[in-house]
Amino acid sequence: MVVENFPNVLEWLRSGFGTFLILLLSGAVLGTVFGFLVATWRHGPVEGFYSVAGVIAAAPGDFLGTSFRRIGAIARLSIKEALRRRVILVTFAIFAALLLFGGWYLTNVEHPERVYINFVMWGTQLLVLLVGLLISAFSLPEDIRNRTIFTVVTKPVRATEIVIGRIVGFGALVTALLAIMALLSYVFVWRGLSHSHLLVGDTQTVAALEAVDPVQKLNPQGGRTSDNAVRAGSTTAEAGHRHDVEIIEDVRDPGGPQPIDQGNILSKETRADGKLVYRRVIVLPAAGHTHAATVSGPAGSESIGLGNSAGYFRARRPVYADLLQVYDTDGLEGQGTDVGREWRYRMYIDGGNATDPETLAKAEFQYSGLRPERFDPGETVILELTLAVFRTYLGNIQKRVLASIQLESIPADPQNEPRLQSEPILFETSEMQIQPLPVNRRLSGRRIAPDGTILESGVYGLFEDFASGPDKRIKVVLRCEDKNQYIGVSRADIYFRASDDWFAWNFAKGFLGIWAQMIIVVAIGVALSTVLSAPVTIICSLVLFLVGFATPFIRGLLDPTAEGGGPIESLIRILSQENMVVSLETTWFTTLMERMDDLLLAGLNSLTWLAPSFRDLDFSRFLTWGYSVSGDRLAVAILISLAFCFGASVFGYFCLKTREIAGQT
Amino acid sequence: MAAVTAEAKRKKLEQTNPDYNPDVVVETQNLTKVYRDFWGRQKVRALNALDLDVRKGEIFGLLGPNGSGKSTTIKLLLGLLFPTSGRALVFGKNADEVTKNERIGYLPEESYLYRFLNAEETLDFYGRLFDMPPKVRRERSRLLIEKVGLQHARRRQLREYSKGMVRRIGLAQALINDPDLIMLDEPTSGLDPLGTREMKDMILDLKAQGKTVIMCSHLLADVQDVCDRIAILYQGELKELGRVDSLLKISDETQVRFKGIPAAAHDEIRQVIERHGGEVLSMENPRTNLEELFLDIVRESQARPGHRSERARN
Repeated sequence: MVVENFPNVLEWLRSGFGTFLILLLSGAVLGTVFGFLVATWRHGPVEGFYSVAGVIAAAPGDFLGTSFRRIGAIARLSIKEALRRRVILVTFAIFAALLLFGGWYLTNVEHPERVYINFVMWGTQLLVLLVGLLISAFSLPEDIRNRTIFTVVTKPVRATEIVIGRIVGFGALVTALLAIMALLSYVFVWRGLSHSHLLVGDTQTVAALEAVDPVQKLNPQGGRTSDNAVRAGSTTAEAGHRHDVEIIEDVRDPGGPQPIDQGNILSKETRADGKLVYRRVIVLPAAGHTHAATVSGPAGSESIGLGNSAGYFRARRPVYADLLQVYDTDGLEGQGTDVGREWRYRMYIDGGNATDPETLAKAEFQYSGLRPERFDPGETVILELTLAVFRTYLGNIQKRVLASIQLESIPADPQNEPRLQSEPILFETSEMQIQPLPVNRRLSGRRIAPDGTILESGVYGLFEDFASGPDKRIKVVLRCEDKNQYIGVSRADIYFRASDDWFAWNFAKGFLGIWAQMIIVVAIGVALSTVLSAPVTIICSLVLFLVGFATPFIRGLLDPTAEGGGPIESLIRILSQENMVVSLETTWFTTLMERMDDLLLAGLNSLTWLAPSFRDLDFSRFLTWGYSVSGDRLAVAILISLAFCFGASVFGYFCLKTREIAGQT
Repeated sequence: MAAVTAEAKRKKLEQTNPDYNPDVVVETQNLTKVYRDFWGRQKVRALNALDLDVRKGEIFGLLGPNGSGKSTTIKLLLGLLFPTSGRALVFGKNADEVTKNERIGYLPEESYLYRFLNAEETLDFYGRLFDMPPKVRRERSRLLIEKVGLQHARRRQLREYSKGMVRRIGLAQALINDPDLIMLDEPTSGLDPLGTREMKDMILDLKAQGKTVIMCSHLLADVQDVCDRIAILYQGELKELGRVDSLLKISDETQVRFKGIPAAAHDEIRQVIERHGGEVLSMENPRTNLEELFLDIVRESQARPGHRSERARN
């Protein structure tokens, strides 16, 4: 999964609030000008001026006179009205049908949890947004058409209250709908994936597992077993997969840490050299999950039970690098090697052809905040990698590209203070996958002086010695150890995996993202329906949302540095059949054209902010790939939805205020 | 030109109304409404240069055939429509100001109420719109439901109501805030004679409480019964304005009603009139009107259920 660089809330607010204010201001100016033009067309410039001034002068009073009781009354009425429409009921019926029969078609052996989560998120999002749009778009136009609005606006009700009351009412209703759907979805995903296996064999005991040849290390299926396996077998096939089951010998120091999971221990012996040997039953992961094995019964005829599926639902909390620097074979910082189109997102480091590792290209990831309390207890800390590989020769395609990482401390003053460097950890990259790489909490390494001399060697603690300074910073150095191959890296490609977020809460956060989208849909629907009829409101909203889903693409089109220039320049290039990349002759005309293009692009670019950028609010990709949604993202999503509610309320107020309620429509 | 006619109309207004009261609740100045289509082309001139004053404590009737501008006037006064030119002032405030609604009650032409609410919910909803605290809301609702006689149907949804009942609850919602000015758009339309009479009684009752009432109707009898002053509109123009009693008085005719004299005396009376140069236009037994007859029958049936009316048998 590609993780974009995401700022924290305050950073985001600094730029986001500015954009918001600019949009608000330009909206106010444009609205006033438009209102004046319409009023002039109706009544002439003098009368027009006075009527626009009157509307603007009345606005602060109306906003200040807004009463919560009236908003509450309108909200309650909206809820009752929407419930009457039975849209909600129909939605539940469709959703129930999806959940009832959807499971039949959700088959993915590799990662079933992704398909399940994706399915419920997608289904909920589609249904909820549709319902939100329908009930919000129809309400006000229907009220005006039935003239029931007459008895409302002839009470001291402010236009703000009519708009906000509706947004609040429909928002609350669809929130309740979404909450129920989220709960059902959770149960559906959990129930759909939960399963258990039996051992293949005559009994559910150790006898079902065959002894492993200590030299060949093959299991009955013909695959390789773990290095320390003594017996191996397999489970029955359930949900399209089976697991390998092994009995392993786990050798421990008597004084050192002992196994955390005690339920799967068959026997415990003390070896001749004084070490403890545990024989444990383990189930190897398959299809993205595993099962806990439990051993019960008298010694010699223990029965082995396999528990419910576990490990499907993850909410990884990555500690991403703050900084990524790539150095080429000459040790100069740069953008990595250009390997073609791929280059844009990832930077590629060269496997080189020299044998001295110090001259290899390297990528340095710098992390901060590496505190032990953020990580699960255990002997190792997990680094996860999502590296890309670019091969200049195929060689043995089965063989993966070799790479290494080295951990280094970051001294406060690198010129004078020594630094710690761990031994390189070699690994094979698995492409297109999230690859876990356990790193021991105690690493052998050396202390190196700034001039390169080794001061001492020893075993150092990851958190105690490497992660130094008040910020607990650490550096991970990645090298490609295969000659003439390249490894692609981006800042998010190597991260420390802190202890997981609670999955249910992460699931809720995913639905909060849908909630934010839904609130925006409701707000826009209500705001547009103050001036448009229901069908036109729906069409306009849909167009806005389409633009919203495609904002990254549209903003790309509006990039002034793009080849071929802005709209006018592009048109001229098309008409004059100029090449896109040839720069035009600099004359007063081209200068003027470019200035106008800049202006047009800036205007169009700011318009794109009016469409809700749903990609920023859609957290389904985090859920499906098993990442925790960060609090910053969630806060920003909620801020965005509130900003839209505010804008929609102001827009709706002025539209409703200047609308002739009893006018012929 | 329009200003001149407005001035003239105002003068006329003052002349025709000897008891001119400066305590003006509603005032329109040169109020004009032109309906236009989307492109701004004129479609209908619904109201033309209307000048009106409605004073505190009177029942003012707007009269006219369908499409004469009665409803348009009321909607302009409520801010539901915006004037093309001229001004509409209510309690001295512009008609498009929201705060004036605090003191206004409005019964629309057809009671445009939410049909999925019951009577109590309806009144509670409108009470909330006046920002009334819960206790006051409950008290007012109870009182008004009693007043309009809907206690038996307070928990039924309005969709199940008969037209008369909807009209009653419509009046109740117009009175929820104890308004000083009540605007009634065709208050008696759709009501049976009994309901009409009750509505008229309630309007008179409001007047007795010192409220100002503006009603528009094309049912002349209703207007005649309750209104103090009327304005007659035709095709958007004000045609007549004045007190009902002075407008309807036929000053060169005299009506005498007596009873208990023999038929022979009729000729004598006729001779007396002719001797004074008068002309007898009619001399007959007066008839009660159908409304009176109907109400009598209903009252009698209520008193003696299951019997045919004594009067009907005669």
